[in-house]
Amino acid sequence: MLAAVRSATVFGVEGRPVTVEVHVSTGLPAFQIVGLPDEACRESRDRVRAAVLSSALAWPSCRVTVNLAPSNQRKGGSGLDLAIAIGFLAAHGQVPVSQIEGLGFVGELGLDGSLRQVAGVAPMVAAMGDVRPVVPINNYREAWCVSGEGVRVARTLREVVDALNAEAPWPVLPDGEFVDDEPPPPDLADVRGQAMARLGLEVAAAGGHHMLLVGPPGSGKTMLAQRMSGLLPMLAPEVSLEATMVHSAAGVRLPAGGMVRRAPFRAPHHSSSMVALVGGGSTSLRPGEISLAHGGVLFLDELGEFAPSVLDGLRQPLEEGVIRIARARASAALPAKFLLIAATNPCPCGGGTGAPGDCQCDEAARLRYVRRLSGPLLDRFDLRVGVTRPCVDDLLATGGGEPTAIVAVRVNEARQRALQRIGMVNANIPAAHLDALAPLDQEARQSLRDQLERDRLTGRGYHRIRRVARTITDLLGGGDLVLDEHVQLALSMRVRLSVSSRERAA
Amino acid sequence: MTDRPVAASALPPEAYVASLAGFRNMSLHRLGALLRHHSPEDAWQVVLGELPATGLVAKVLAETGVRAMWRRCTHERPPADIWAHCLELGLVVLPYGHERYPAGLLDDPFPPPVLFVRGDLGLLAGRRVGIVGTRNATAAGREAARSLGLGLGAAGVHVVSGLARGIDGYAHRGVLAAQGEGRPIGVVASGLDVIYPREHRDLWEAAGNCGLLLSEAPPGVPPEPHRFPLRNRIVAALSEVLVVVESRERGGSLITAAQAVERDVTVMAVPGSIGKRASLGTNSLLCDGAAPVTGVDDVLTALSLQHSRSAVVAADLRARPRGEDIVVYRELSHEPRTIDGVALALGLSLVEAAMSLARLESAGWIAAADGWFECVGSPLR
Repeated sequence: MLAAVRSATVFGVEGRPVTVEVHVSTGLPAFQIVGLPDEACRESRDRVRAAVLSSALAWPSCRVTVNLAPSNQRKGGSGLDLAIAIGFLAAHGQVPVSQIEGLGFVGELGLDGSLRQVAGVAPMVAAMGDVRPVVPINNYREAWCVSGEGVRVARTLREVVDALNAEAPWPVLPDGEFVDDEPPPPDLADVRGQAMARLGLEVAAAGGHHMLLVGPPGSGKTMLAQRMSGLLPMLAPEVSLEATMVHSAAGVRLPAGGMVRRAPFRAPHHSSSMVALVGGGSTSLRPGEISLAHGGVLFLDELGEFAPSVLDGLRQPLEEGVIRIARARASAALPAKFLLIAATNPCPCGGGTGAPGDCQCDEAARLRYVRRLSGPLLDRFDLRVGVTRPCVDDLLATGGGEPTAIVAVRVNEARQRALQRIGMVNANIPAAHLDALAPLDQEARQSLRDQLERDRLTGRGYHRIRRVARTITDLLGGGDLVLDEHVQLALSMRVRLSVSSRERAA
Repeated sequence: MTDRPVAASALPPEAYVASLAGFRNMSLHRLGALLRHHSPEDAWQVVLGELPATGLVAKVLAETGVRAMWRRCTHERPPADIWAHCLELGLVVLPYGHERYPAGLLDDPFPPPVLFVRGDLGLLAGRRVGIVGTRNATAAGREAARSLGLGLGAAGVHVVSGLARGIDGYAHRGVLAAQGEGRPIGVVASGLDVIYPREHRDLWEAAGNCGLLLSEAPPGVPPEPHRFPLRNRIVAALSEVLVVVESRERGGSLITAAQAVERDVTVMAVPGSIGKRASLGTNSLLCDGAAPVTGVDDVLTALSLQHSRSAVVAADLRARPRGEDIVVYRELSHEPRTIDGVALALGLSLVEAAMSLARLESAGWIAAADGWFECVGSPLR
């Protein structure tokens, strides 16, 4: 009269194993779920009962108690439906208890007994450990990423019961190898002109430098940013798995290949809330956009329009590569190692070409606009590249620019150089190692000294310039020494936002 | 009310003018009419209804609500208090016709009925040039305004301007930097104790202390938009020559220029490159016959001053650009460019362009902002 079934829930991007214990006894007919289920979880009573009856199985008048162990953790979502149903059937003797040993069940039940896909199957399967997972057929890809060929799938509850009773074989798995069906990311060849911004993209991709694009509307900031993910190399296996877990936990559709292999590109709207961006929620701590961008690009268009508190929330993950979210009952660390690309207009009116003296805004308005961005966040962009509208000749030219394929090769070579040197991208070189890894030639040292003496660079900015210069040297095929011209190029990719005209004239 | 006759006997007429000027709905025309038809003390009694109004004044007072409102204002603005406040601020109140009222405004088509003044009125007897322009100036425009101010100040010419952001402010900064005989004369739209824009507090103080500050508005009046065009006519009237440094297709400085033409004041304009928005207005002035200003000597010549005396050209301490940098500088001298633009126009690689721009910037020939580069300082000859 008792059965224990293994299942799991998802919390943050981690699965948590749950043992579903079902006790069926005589007494007043009742169906109770204990063990801190949330609303969706508690409602599974009704779904399970209907699904069992719809599958031509028996639901006698008896007292059913379900315990979700460990019972002091909150459980959320509908992924436990299948486990509860199987537990009941086993406890009631409609399925042999011995057959459910070594299996783990995840899935939501429809009232007609069908199995529906749920979010977070990949981390759940990982959490269940050494069992063969039984999942809805639409979740096969995610389960396969973690568990490989051991996965069992089903379309309905009836199929699961028949297989457990050895009345029918397990349904056949969908065809083995998955082919990536994702359309390729947009190509850099579509970008006309914009030599500086292209170089900026290339440097950002090669060195993992965060980039801010500054330019008037219509200058192609968004277009450039969208081409970033094509420049980044395919994700390393472990990053790919982490990204897949995040996508699965957030319920975002995975590519047909099962794993997230290509660098993701996320572009949340500027009205996004703090929780949408960094993740959160009361029971499940759903991953936010920054975690979905793990391993790829987070693009914030109109940076100045984001709520300042939201932007400040990005500072910790930018430094650490993880976001730690804590709620009263629980906390979670979600991966959030992303390349931040942001775009902003130089002034609120967005009119004109962005050239000095060519806009409607008075100085106070400009100042207010720039002030929203200034401070610690602005300081975290290694690259601040000015973008201008392409000139007419460039727009009408027939030949496109350099295609992504060629640039990506250069980017990859530069990344390899950096990885061989210290095992990380240049943006992450610790300041203490800069002298050893990015030695400057005499003139470069002099020009940086000059900038520091004129208060054009802060201490932090100085280190950032050296990292960017290192990347430029790697990209342009230079040797170990960082040359002055690379430093100058790095400096010119650190546009100063005009704060006041007096300063500009000085 | 009972002690009014006693106080009245002790108060100069200017006190009544200062009070009347701050009444609600007291336009310049109405104030002018009041003071033309009545002496200040009588005007006060007319407003109180104790003396009969004549002509135009009677018509104004007959308008709905005016009499009641002004009567209320007589309680809110007792002349004794207003006068004490003016004295406290060190202001001189000059009603039209006062013996020290600026001669240049006496025969003006629309003379200010009253002027509030701080500083040295004697400056109005000297040579005066107005320098005006847009608030959204380019670096080149600001530099031109500053260098004109510097040259005129050194030549002993006073500079009349509006103390606004942009060109106005830079012209006065130039005059002050010259430390010569020339002084700043600021004509402002708000009351002399309401500093606007606030970042020009220093200029405002400097003009009050070593130059001259004028306003039509009594103390406490905020910078209301309709006052600025009116202010411009005083700038025009007080200038012997008016120089427009940069102006867009429409703007306050073109109004000033039109007012200057009306008053037979010579209008000059600083030419700018075609298509540059900040020079559209000045270039159209040049088309209409304004004289071009290519340097401070042109302005001094227009004043018929011997310009050789002023032509002390400070040595340019900046390292002269060499080789390719000269070409890059010339490219920038037409209009601001980005690195992309420079590289494209001159067929340079990005690295070469960046290096050259960096050299020019560190030598002080160009300035960078928002990714754009523009020439600053006196041009390379």
